[in-house]
Amino acid sequence: MLDIADLEVRYDGIVALRGVSLTVGAGEVVALIGPNGAGKSTLINTISGLVSAASGTIHVGGEDFTHLRPWTISAKGVLQVPEGRQVFSDMTVLENLQLGATALRGRPSDLDVKDVFELFPILQERSTQLAGSLSGGQQQMLAIGRALMGAPKLLLLDEPSLGLAPVVISQVFAALRTLKEKGMTILLIEQNATLALDLSNRAYILDQGRIVLSGNSADLAADEGVVAHYLGVDAEV
Amino acid sequence: MTNILLGYQPLFDLFLLHLGMAYSQWLVLRAGVFSLATAGLAAVGAYTGGILVVSLGFPAPVALLLAGLAGGIVALGLSIPLARLRGVYQAIATVAFIQIVLSLNIYASGLTGGPQGLNGIPKTVGTVTLLIAGILTVYLMYTITNSRLGRAFDAIRQNEAVAASLGVSIVRHQTLAFIISGALAGVYGALEAFHSYALAPSQFGFTFLISILAYVVLGGRNTIIGPIVGTAILLLLPEIARPLAEARMLVYGLLLILVINYLPHGIADTLIERARARRLSARLAKSDSVATTATRN
Repeated sequence: MLDIADLEVRYDGIVALRGVSLTVGAGEVVALIGPNGAGKSTLINTISGLVSAASGTIHVGGEDFTHLRPWTISAKGVLQVPEGRQVFSDMTVLENLQLGATALRGRPSDLDVKDVFELFPILQERSTQLAGSLSGGQQQMLAIGRALMGAPKLLLLDEPSLGLAPVVISQVFAALRTLKEKGMTILLIEQNATLALDLSNRAYILDQGRIVLSGNSADLAADEGVVAHYLGVDAEV
Repeated sequence: MTNILLGYQPLFDLFLLHLGMAYSQWLVLRAGVFSLATAGLAAVGAYTGGILVVSLGFPAPVALLLAGLAGGIVALGLSIPLARLRGVYQAIATVAFIQIVLSLNIYASGLTGGPQGLNGIPKTVGTVTLLIAGILTVYLMYTITNSRLGRAFDAIRQNEAVAASLGVSIVRHQTLAFIISGALAGVYGALEAFHSYALAPSQFGFTFLISILAYVVLGGRNTIIGPIVGTAILLLLPEIARPLAEARMLVYGLLLILVINYLPHGIADTLIERARARRLSARLAKSDSVATTATRN
């Protein structure tokens, strides 16, 4: 589904990603973990076309996506749930969802507002409320729902657990698990490595702009060296 | 009674003309384009309409349509360099555009009448025509606001990167907003020409630009009612308080400073937001009390 080869990204001369290669197969959930500033968000924003690659290629379903504009990329079904939710706070919940359908551009979708409400019932209750008045967890659900409205063939999730209470995190991840079971292809960025490894099939560890490790999520989670080095938070517990 | 109302008719006409211009400014701001080109596009429309009628003998309604078309086409041309700029640079570029239009009005004297202005335009537009134009304009803005297009404009204004990543084409939507804004400015420029017998080259200059911008900022940038409130207040205020009429720009400036500080989203928008917040908290309080009662039972 997603094939990234030797990707390099620079911001005004500062190298953010160095020769990153990564694949996500159809129906697979792949986690990308790593510390702050490792380049995780840069990678997702480059896939989405919001940041341009200095060299290397990005292919989705065999098609070259490297130099497409962001709205073309989303129209082709690669959709991002941005870090920090970024819902449109002056619009209602329903309007946010309807806006998500912009990415369809005539592509067929087997999912509509009703399905999003089924996944996140709280959004139906709040459908006429302004998105800005929702709690952080509800906004995260809305951001995911908004991306689903565009019928993603590849869903990019940037830190869905960020700033949420543990009970809300488990609600959000339960929904992601449902999506996984339905066969959604997902690239998930997370700082909470335990959660990410638990949900995903495979994982890559990104550090200082390089992929330093990759493998099956279960193997990585069981590897004590990995846990101690890269998933430090959990090792201390 | 009728006499008193008749006395205010010219002011009402002015209100309707400026309201149309205010909506032209409002629409681009709504789509996240910081353009101030409305004054220049209105000048293009006014001179197009005036020249077509005076020099070429076109009937006024045809000239009006062509003026709108001219405004839209010039806006389309202007949108190409503008799409590469953001924020304050768009504002600077559009102010430069206005200067170019004003200079052309002066130097192309064979066509525009030069510094003497364009005179002898038959007066074909009165209060009724302006009122119809006003209603159509508000209706058009209302339709855009409540359509997919309006939501895309809002999304771009609030967060361009997220809008783009959701499939909203920034260039296409901002160009479209700019063309509609330009056509509107062109039509209202021509209406002004057909309403006032003559055009002066400086008529659509800096003072005009600031007035139009002030209507929108003062009234509100995001709701339909905003430009109506802003235009009404800023036009009526100097008339009601006659001694202030001389110091109109001073009053505008003071009001703007006050509004930006205390009602940052404009008078209409801020009041609507507050009413909405009150309604929401009332509803939440109610559902809380219902929940409490339910638990007690």
